[in-house]
Amino acid sequence: MLHVIHCLEGIIERLGIIARYSLLALVVLVASNVLLRYFFSISPVPLQEFEWHLISPIALLGISYALKHRADVRVDVFYDRFSPKGRALVDLLGALMTIAIAIGTAIAWLGLSYTEQSYQLMEGSPDPGGLPYRYLLKAFIPIGFAALALQGVADCLRALLTLTNRMPDASSTTSSNTKVPS
Amino acid sequence: APAIVRAESSKTYQWKMTNAYGPGSPFYVEGPGSPTDFCRKVEAMSGGRMKIQHFAAGELIPALEGFNAVASGVVEMNAGNAYFWAGKIPAAQYFTTVPFGMNTQGMNAWLYHGGGLELWHELYAPKGLIAFPMGNTGVQMTGWFRKPINTVEDLKGLKMRIPGLAGKVYAELGVAVRLLPGGEIFPALERGVIDAAEFVGPYQDRRLGLQKAAKYYYTTGWHEPTNVTELMINKAAWESLPEDLQAIVKAAAQACNVESQAWCESVNAEALNDLVENEGVTAQPLPDSVVARLKEVTEKTLTDMAAADPDTARVHESFMAFRDQHKEWAAVSEKTFLAL
Amino acid sequence: MSPNEWIALSMIGGFLILMLIGIPVAISLAVAGFVAGLAGFGPLLFSLMPARLYGVVTNYTLLAIPLFVFMGVMLEKSRVAEDMLETIGRAMGGVNGGMGIAIILVGVLMGASTGIVGATVVTVGMLTLPTLLRRGYHPGVASATICASGTLGQIIPPSLVLILLSEILGESVGTLFAAAFVPGLAIAVIYIVYLLVLGWWKPELVPAIPKEERAAAGGMKELLRDLARSVIPPLMLVFAVLGSILGGVAAPTEAASMGALGSLVIALLARRLDFPMLKACLHSTLTITAMVYFILLCAQPFSLAFRGLGGENMVHDLFNLLPGGELGALIFLMVILFVLGFFLEWIEISYIALPMFLPVFIGYGTDMVWLGVLVAMNLQMSFLTPPFGWALFFLKGVAPPEVTTRHLYLGVLPFVGLQAMAVVLLFCFPGLATWLPDAIGW
Ligand code: NA
Ligand code: NA
Repeated sequence: MLHVIHCLEGIIERLGIIARYSLLALVVLVASNVLLRYFFSISPVPLQEFEWHLISPIALLGISYALKHRADVRVDVFYDRFSPKGRALVDLLGALMTIAIAIGTAIAWLGLSYTEQSYQLMEGSPDPGGLPYRYLLKAFIPIGFAALALQGVADCLRALLTLTNRMPDASSTTSSNTKVPS
Repeated sequence: APAIVRAESSKTYQWKMTNAYGPGSPFYVEGPGSPTDFCRKVEAMSGGRMKIQHFAAGELIPALEGFNAVASGVVEMNAGNAYFWAGKIPAAQYFTTVPFGMNTQGMNAWLYHGGGLELWHELYAPKGLIAFPMGNTGVQMTGWFRKPINTVEDLKGLKMRIPGLAGKVYAELGVAVRLLPGGEIFPALERGVIDAAEFVGPYQDRRLGLQKAAKYYYTTGWHEPTNVTELMINKAAWESLPEDLQAIVKAAAQACNVESQAWCESVNAEALNDLVENEGVTAQPLPDSVVARLKEVTEKTLTDMAAADPDTARVHESFMAFRDQHKEWAAVSEKTFLAL
Repeated sequence: MSPNEWIALSMIGGFLILMLIGIPVAISLAVAGFVAGLAGFGPLLFSLMPARLYGVVTNYTLLAIPLFVFMGVMLEKSRVAEDMLETIGRAMGGVNGGMGIAIILVGVLMGASTGIVGATVVTVGMLTLPTLLRRGYHPGVASATICASGTLGQIIPPSLVLILLSEILGESVGTLFAAAFVPGLAIAVIYIVYLLVLGWWKPELVPAIPKEERAAAGGMKELLRDLARSVIPPLMLVFAVLGSILGGVAAPTEAASMGALGSLVIALLARRLDFPMLKACLHSTLTITAMVYFILLCAQPFSLAFRGLGGENMVHDLFNLLPGGELGALIFLMVILFVLGFFLEWIEISYIALPMFLPVFIGYGTDMVWLGVLVAMNLQMSFLTPPFGWALFFLKGVAPPEVTTRHLYLGVLPFVGLQAMAVVLLFCFPGLATWLPDAIGW
């Protein structure tokens, strides 16, 4: 089961690489656009549009990455007082809900039809000279939520291992998640 | 028999309308002839048999998601401008406004009696949509400039907030085109991040406070000589309406088309006088040489656009043929009168 | 009440329960919203979800979040921020609460360069919380100060709330910016006074840096040198952001990139920029940014269901029951906004509550500029209010584990009280808001 968990989280980690470099690109791009316009009065429409296009991979691939690295926000007023088993139970519930939300959101409604509609229209920017292929941007919604479901499955398995006393090392539930990838 | 007719026609229709503009926007959301006014009119005219619940941008869906929502049938109607969908249907631009195209009178003539509306319906039908004109801002302003524009050279390196087709034309003349959301126009223009900004007309622009940020107000509405508000309807839902309700929707849209423009004419007249007399704004047309150059580039841009897409080519041809014919008439009628 | 209104109330209750037992906040929001929405309408309403999610990830203004977070993380990793706070603490000498005051000032400066609460809170929180804790600040006071400081950006122009309100109220953006200026600074001053009083009354909660340590670090000359060395770089960043707006280089949202670029340059000059460091920085920036987006995305089903279930009608019906004329309506508006702030995002509140009540106030001839600033201050307060304050969640996301939700909730209460006092002040003295726009003719 541990092997499955690592496999799933390996996928999340790879998607995270795309998100991390999108982030770097965003910083460089916005700054360049500002400086190019100020010093050279150059301001291409596609580069401006590309600024907010980069948010999609950052935000949508980032959510499962944040969940994997336990960077989600939770209220611990009661959680901290639960026994490890009790916490694992809450974690299990949370993970199951994550899967439900992700699957519900990604597949049932939007996943395909929203992106598909955009693909059929060959939707591009309404601004002449803007970026084409808007369906690629929209495809990050189903991809991002599918990744969230995978991370939910991994969390679910981990909580089950803890509940059945089969977690090899209690610290591995958190320590492996908080360290920075090398 | 009369009792049976009443029973048949007592079915009520509860529809939803989304809007591409935010809550409270005058003309686009509130006011005489606005989309919310349209919903009230339909309800009153139908004796309550058709109720349309209105949602401003962000209330149900974000501003520019109306196309998808209506096409998929989640909501039945959307208010906005056809040119917002230019990324999906390139020819949609022509159903809002065409740079150096026709003014509101000509546009209405083309839409209602020159084959424009038929083309509009023809293009929208495959997407499961139908549309009607439901309002008009009338001619819009070139925009606010921090420095006067005397020659074409003055445009070179100018940083301007201007979306859409006009932006592409300006870019050809060396303008650095900046896309900015409405709320950021004021701070950006005020601090000189941009040197110029196009928005709507005197009434709306004054609301944004643009007169505090720039004093040269150019009035040649070359880029938007008219601006049609679009009522977009899901085609299947439209066809499910009984004939009398269809007639009511059409009539209400036509009423709003007239009333909203009349309202704009009146408030813009007041606002422009106020801006010039009390706010130290210089209102003037662009120099002839600049207009001539803009016209050259516009014509080339439009021709290129038409060449890239057969549907656009058809609409372009119909629009231009009508314009050329209408121009002659306008010259001897309106132009002569306005020169008095 | 209609069945749908009961469902709306159960949705809010269900969300609070899920959140309190420790389910991630984002998931609690989404689950409560989806379940209630499905019960009330069936799946149709949720076919609007993709459009709303797409709206969040293509929102231009939110672009400032990753940029500011990047700047903050970079400063943290290059240990510039830590040095700054220590030096300011020394410079404050024996004044207890000095470092807290420094944080309020940083909040004012960052607030003047952006209006994104999430960005300010996580940036300042990441930079300063560990240092404050190490210096013996009480976790509750330390984190609450950061949250309060972070929400200042809501009211100090430029501000997203004010831009949106200007659209809803029909006032120019410039007028509202000018009107919010004095009240915004007044709140900052009130916070500072509070920290000074706290330092005098309970010095153990906000201790100054010990005298011996200050003495050991050297005299006035060393202090000035350290100040120059440690305070100037981060201050320059804030000025890069603010200056690029004021100097006409960048629009408010893109100005954040000047800060991000500047932080790279500073790290480079401090010889701390290398590949592993950049990688670690991108990792932290991504997790924090995604945490904020996770909540924003998952809030969509919740607010969609609230609206779809007629939550706004519930609010409206309450309003109609109300006696007391203009004053009664105003007080009720303030209370309603505050309560809605417990569980809705401010954008939803502005969209739901304001357009509904506005005609009432237009009828009374209420000054819209004053009303706008009152509303903005109220929304700012709701950001801070437990159990559901956005600022609290965002800070929790970057706080070390020893800072518990309980610390946050208790620590922030005095700030909520002060904020309420400021709202009352503005309520009694509308001139605080209306004077400046009149004086400068905006
Ligand atoms: Na601000
Ligand atoms: Na709150």
